[in-house]
Amino acid sequence: MSALRIGSFLYSVLRLSTPLIFAALSAAICEKAGLFNMAAESMMLWGALIGVMVNGWTGSVWLGFLGGCCAGVVTGLLIALATVKGKADLMLAQIAINLASSGGTIFMLYVVTGDKSTSAMTIKSQSLPKIALPFLKNVPVIGRMLNNQNLLTYGAILAAILLMIFIKRSRTGVHIRAVGENPNAAESVGISVSKTYFLTWAISGLLGGIGGVFMSMGYTSAFTKNMVAGRGYIGLCASSMVRGNPIGAMLCAMVFGVSDAIANQLQLTNAPVDLVMMLPYAVTIIVLIIISVIKIRTHVRKIKNKASQVKDQPGILPAGLSLSLDSLYGIASGPCSAAAAGGSSV
Amino acid sequence: MNKTKRIENTFDVVRILIAILLAYLIALIILALISDDPWNVISLFIIGPFNSKKHVGDIFTLMIPLVFTGLCMCFVYAINKFNLAGEGAVNLGGCLAACVAIALRDTAVPGWIAIILCIIVGALAGMLSTAIPAIADQVFHADVCVISLMLNYILLYFTTYILKNVIKDQGASVTASYKLGRKVKLANLIPGTQIHIGLLIALACVVFVAILFYKMPFGYKMRAVGVNPSFARYIGIPVGSTIILSQVIGGAFAGMGGSVQILGMFPRYKWESLTGYGFDGLMIAVLARKNPVLVPLSAFLIAYIRTGASLVATKTQIPPEFVSIIQGIIIVLVAAEMFLSGWKKRLIFSAAKKSLKEKEAKA
Repeated sequence: MSALRIGSFLYSVLRLSTPLIFAALSAAICEKAGLFNMAAESMMLWGALIGVMVNGWTGSVWLGFLGGCCAGVVTGLLIALATVKGKADLMLAQIAINLASSGGTIFMLYVVTGDKSTSAMTIKSQSLPKIALPFLKNVPVIGRMLNNQNLLTYGAILAAILLMIFIKRSRTGVHIRAVGENPNAAESVGISVSKTYFLTWAISGLLGGIGGVFMSMGYTSAFTKNMVAGRGYIGLCASSMVRGNPIGAMLCAMVFGVSDAIANQLQLTNAPVDLVMMLPYAVTIIVLIIISVIKIRTHVRKIKNKASQVKDQPGILPAGLSLSLDSLYGIASGPCSAAAAGGSSV
Repeated sequence: MNKTKRIENTFDVVRILIAILLAYLIALIILALISDDPWNVISLFIIGPFNSKKHVGDIFTLMIPLVFTGLCMCFVYAINKFNLAGEGAVNLGGCLAACVAIALRDTAVPGWIAIILCIIVGALAGMLSTAIPAIADQVFHADVCVISLMLNYILLYFTTYILKNVIKDQGASVTASYKLGRKVKLANLIPGTQIHIGLLIALACVVFVAILFYKMPFGYKMRAVGVNPSFARYIGIPVGSTIILSQVIGGAFAGMGGSVQILGMFPRYKWESLTGYGFDGLMIAVLARKNPVLVPLSAFLIAYIRTGASLVATKTQIPPEFVSIIQGIIIVLVAAEMFLSGWKKRLIFSAAKKSLKEKEAKA
């Protein structure tokens, strides 16, 4: 009985984590390129809405999925257009896009269907299929947890692994990381920074769009207004806890999924749900602070080590020590894996 | 040199106006395309907010919280730290002010003292909310934007917890607090409208912030840090404490905004979601170009657009959310440096050429 309950609890953790994982990955690739992705929220909203609409028009789930992906990509490219071509401030542009999307999706829903809050009554859309894994059926906890999940739940885990490989191994991934470390240096060796930014936003938009599609065609089967409800921001936090490491971002997103699931369970009891809902955010803040303190400590230690190594060579020492705290913060590229472990152990 | 600066300044204003007009035009086109009776809808949207005393009053009442959060974001934007906790500060300020009001309701404390206490508590709550990300940023070097976004949710859930468990009126049909009481209700300013004393408080705050920004050493320090922190550090300004302090002062206004809004507009506290005033405040600060004097003007503009939209929404089925598209377009266009930059360069170029010619003619 208890194994069954644990299994079904973990099942709901995975289900609730899926959109968070996509949002976290969407933020992670931006983080690797040195960008700050607050707009996963709007990518997901547009992905969710357009996915349902295309699905309703064509009757095909897969075309709907594709439409949602495209909507996410277009949102990402719009941000790239405003910030790279239009030289708009990144934060302002994203806040603007988020504002416009939360209202724009409602408006578009109204224009298309005449309904202002949900597409459930007016658009006939299906959900993406759930995958049955018969061979897992008899494994006690894992079977209940992994079997019969939505296709995109497996997709999310796969996407994290693929993104990891893409960033670490592929040529473009190296370019993205180079631009993230130092755009000027990257430009000087012939990498087109603006092209890389456009590409990064496109990939980020794709991931956000898929997350949105899951919201409206997996998690539920219709678009509801403001259905993303801050999940994009949570993804951003998950990724910034691990400095954009995709696997780490996925694990952090799952931590949020766990707390969501606990809150869902507690909703049935008399416990103060709001305080439980508060916990993951409080934990994030504390973990973020701890991570940045560790990062600065290790960096200072590194500089001190270097300084003691070059003690005999005058001239290098002042340059090493003249780093201000600002540059410490900027340079701290940090121990990704250690941070990942820190984030997931919470 | 001076001439170039003047061109740049006037150009900035013209650019913002063009951005607003452009966004407005796009909204009108959208409205015209989707409604069956375009002329009526458009005239309702443009003239509607001015066609009766009540509607003009609506603009001003809507303006009050926007002025407060706009001031808050002026501080945040002036030092270039995107501390968005002003959003949650509105909720916390409103909630704690409601708690104080309820606690004082049946005591002998006179109304005006209760109101002042409520607003002070709101301001302190706001200061606390923006102080957390500011300190995390300056002391621990964690990202201020991420922390403040997370903090907004913490504040939201904390206030809903208080609402549901501490001040909830079990007799009310919806989730709402006990009645705040008549004595803390901010007095009506103009009969026939909903405009309350909060408007005067807001304008007093604008005056105070303007003096702080432009006539006091702290304001100068703050602006210097915002423009160039390294330079500010070099000339001996304590950069870290200035950054923290300005965010904390800014937060006080957001918190006050929340408490004034609750005391002025609602008989009970019942916010269960983020109000959005914080993000609106950022837009207002952007439109006002970080200048607190212009904050009421840009808040009025946004309030006017909102009022028009809600009028359209009541008369037709069109959802009022379409104004957020206008807001988005305005921010992007104002923020995009390249928007009309060719024109600006040509203007500066021709002015420089002209002054060169004058010099040559003199010589």
